[in-house]
Amino acid sequence: MNRLLSPVVLSLVLVFLIGPFFVIVAASLSAGETLAFPPHGLSLQWMAKVFTIDSFRASFAISLLLAVGGTALALMLGVPAAYALSRYPLPFKEAIRAILSAPIVVPGIIVGLSILRYLVVPFGFSITLALFFAHTALVLPYAVRVVSASLDNLRSDIEEAAVLLGSSRLGAFFRVVVPNIRGGLLAAFILGFVTSFNQVPVSLFLSGPGIQTLPINMLGYMETTYDPSVAALSALLAFLSVGIVFLAERFLGFSRYV
Amino acid sequence: MFHNRSEALILAIPAALFAAVVFLVPVVMLLSEGFHGPAGDWSIGAYTAFFSETLNRTVFLRTLRLGLEVTAAAVVIGYAAALAIVHLPSKGKGRMIGLVVLPLMISPVARTYAWIVILGRTGFVNKALMTLHLIDSPLHLLFSETAVFLGLLQLFLPLMILPLIGALENLPKDAVAAARVLGANWLQVFWKIVLPLTREGLVLGGALVFTGSLTAYITPAILGGSKVLMLETLLYQRVAVSNDFVAASVIAFILIVMSFGANLVLKHLATARSRI
Amino acid sequence: MKLLATAIWLACILPLTAEAANRTLTISVYAYAQDDYKRLVYDPFEARCGCKLVVETGNSVERLARMETNKAHPVVDMAVVSMADALRASRDGLLAKIDPAKLPNIEKLYDLAKDPNGDGMSVGYTFYATSIVYRPDKMKIESWADLLKPEYVGHIAFPNITTNQGPPALQMLGQAMGETAPNLKAPIAAIGQNKDDIVTFYEKSSQLVQLMQQEEIWAAPIGRFSWGAFTKLDVPVAWATPKEGQTGGMNVMVLTKGSQNQDLAQEFMNFWISTDVQTALAQKLVDSPANKDVKVAPDIANNLTYGEATARSLKLIPSAAILDQRDGWVKEWNEAVGQ
Repeated sequence: MNRLLSPVVLSLVLVFLIGPFFVIVAASLSAGETLAFPPHGLSLQWMAKVFTIDSFRASFAISLLLAVGGTALALMLGVPAAYALSRYPLPFKEAIRAILSAPIVVPGIIVGLSILRYLVVPFGFSITLALFFAHTALVLPYAVRVVSASLDNLRSDIEEAAVLLGSSRLGAFFRVVVPNIRGGLLAAFILGFVTSFNQVPVSLFLSGPGIQTLPINMLGYMETTYDPSVAALSALLAFLSVGIVFLAERFLGFSRYV
Repeated sequence: MFHNRSEALILAIPAALFAAVVFLVPVVMLLSEGFHGPAGDWSIGAYTAFFSETLNRTVFLRTLRLGLEVTAAAVVIGYAAALAIVHLPSKGKGRMIGLVVLPLMISPVARTYAWIVILGRTGFVNKALMTLHLIDSPLHLLFSETAVFLGLLQLFLPLMILPLIGALENLPKDAVAAARVLGANWLQVFWKIVLPLTREGLVLGGALVFTGSLTAYITPAILGGSKVLMLETLLYQRVAVSNDFVAASVIAFILIVMSFGANLVLKHLATARSRI
Repeated sequence: MKLLATAIWLACILPLTAEAANRTLTISVYAYAQDDYKRLVYDPFEARCGCKLVVETGNSVERLARMETNKAHPVVDMAVVSMADALRASRDGLLAKIDPAKLPNIEKLYDLAKDPNGDGMSVGYTFYATSIVYRPDKMKIESWADLLKPEYVGHIAFPNITTNQGPPALQMLGQAMGETAPNLKAPIAAIGQNKDDIVTFYEKSSQLVQLMQQEEIWAAPIGRFSWGAFTKLDVPVAWATPKEGQTGGMNVMVLTKGSQNQDLAQEFMNFWISTDVQTALAQKLVDSPANKDVKVAPDIANNLTYGEATARSLKLIPSAAILDQRDGWVKEWNEAVGQ
């Protein structure tokens, strides 16, 4: 049963998942003025145009910084927490686990709005800082969960052996644990990066003068101009991400840890 | 070595504190607005008012229904795809996983607009159906629940497939073979062996898909064309247009309760199955 | 390593948290045509005032929501919003009175733009007509009610009640039906009866361009500022002049209360409504001029909402009416159409 059905099922699923991607790429190569599939003629004009739009460059930089910085901070906070959750008899374990998973459950718009109303306004945080914290909070659950899964798969006696043989606790952590959960760390980073980069609802309210994340910028752009630039931008971004994922797979085989 | 509870707390507290201050406190404060009556007292008046309007009830039921439909479809398709992927040789498996992850990399804005092109009257789906003579005139697929369903499914299917792959890989290889030897057919193998042993993945995937479908904004907003209002789009309308934070917090609370509820139900269902 | 990187990054963004207010003007505008605006308005202004312009973009409602939240410590100095939203902001105590003495160019504006809401808190800088864009090869539109004809209704899009075009379009539909009550009950009910056939209730007019191209729709009420994009399509399009007339809207400039840069903001406003800038924007088909001294060639004028006669003929809904009725409209709409 498996032999015959497998490839068919897989192909259908892949077409369903990837189909829209091809549409976007094809539409972005259109020589015409609107999104069309199949495209009216082929041209790289929209790909080129993307680089000339100032607001895209600015918001790309902001989104990139937020994604890298936010995920880095989330990992810095999350890895110790995951370690504590998986190795120790942590007091309030369930409560802490719940707090750390909560951001996934709450609607993004509410998160953005409440941060704006109760953090930014009363305390005068800058929008950038609020965005940074919000994105970190959003990525944190992924960081904790994925790294926890990796840690659970790693036997703790290896660390104990290292300490017995004279290593410090911290040294044991960096020299024994980290290399073995490399895949999990990378998976968490990639998941976090993607989540933060494509995030829309939270960033909707946390925009300010000169500060806008790329997806919000794209939305605003599409509200007024309906040309394939956005498709071109999405295609370029997708290629970039694909490149990163394939590199990660090639060098670290992180598929084992997902 | 791992017995020191205060050490554990020191490691976990920064993250928990961060999440609490940045996220939990503001959200709880916003939610509490939904419980205050006009005189500032505690009341659930806002909730009764909310459910007394037919529109709100319709939107609530529709959101719930779509969430369940998308999750159900994702479970079925997810298992089929995950099973197929897991049996591939390692190199192909890695590539497949990369392809499954790929849609997650594309901005949701762009993905939704791709659907507009695909589902339109002159779009790919209609053209294919007409060429195969299955229909005579183009279907109105856009701006309907079907469109939103497809959009959401495509958005969240990877989030079901990935945890299932992880869970299936941890399945003891001999379990399936043993069951087959003992005479079980494929359905029994799935129901009695695979499903219970992969329940962790199912719960995680199901929770992600259901929660995601409930709280998705862009996809229902654009593909629904204002004809398919969901709770999240209603929430946005209440905040952005009517400045009605009380109603917004009511909706948010309902969404959160639904997510938690789904989580609990899934865990329950999965554990029930394991009592073989 | 990660620690170092994060520390460096934090050090870089912390300076951003300080609000540098020396000769920086923060403006809040629509996301529309920002490249053109930069070239024709922002850069020239920065050159003459020696100051820096920081621009926030988004749609009217979101930006207003942010202004409301930042009430105690305004971030934005001046903003550009729809007429009705300006009145709402004014009623919410977010605005400061504009000093006509600081805006000498105000004399050059059409009367309807000088003080659109009658409270001295806004100045119009552009207005636009709203009518129906349609496929002349597929239909004839001579009245707003033609939109609901059985052979057409399955091919039209209508603006959502929450958009700026919604209420004016409904008002015109009501007039065509002979119902002029301000509660818009009759036209909303009519739309409600046809809601399954109407293709979509759009929120962004740019989406219509795509739908028109895909032949998803053949007609829709739109603001004239969206017209340019339709002309670039492969399909023939025309602008209707229905017998009930056209409606429209006006976008206005407002001054934030409590801003530290009120003089600079008003200088900027004056610049925006000056004849040179308005002419440049008109020539580029960005905004129709509210300045009556602007003169453009007939073929450009054709694509704008241009001239005294046009200005006076537009049937605009007064802002106060919009604000007072809006909640009622949304409720009616949700009952009739939303489900």
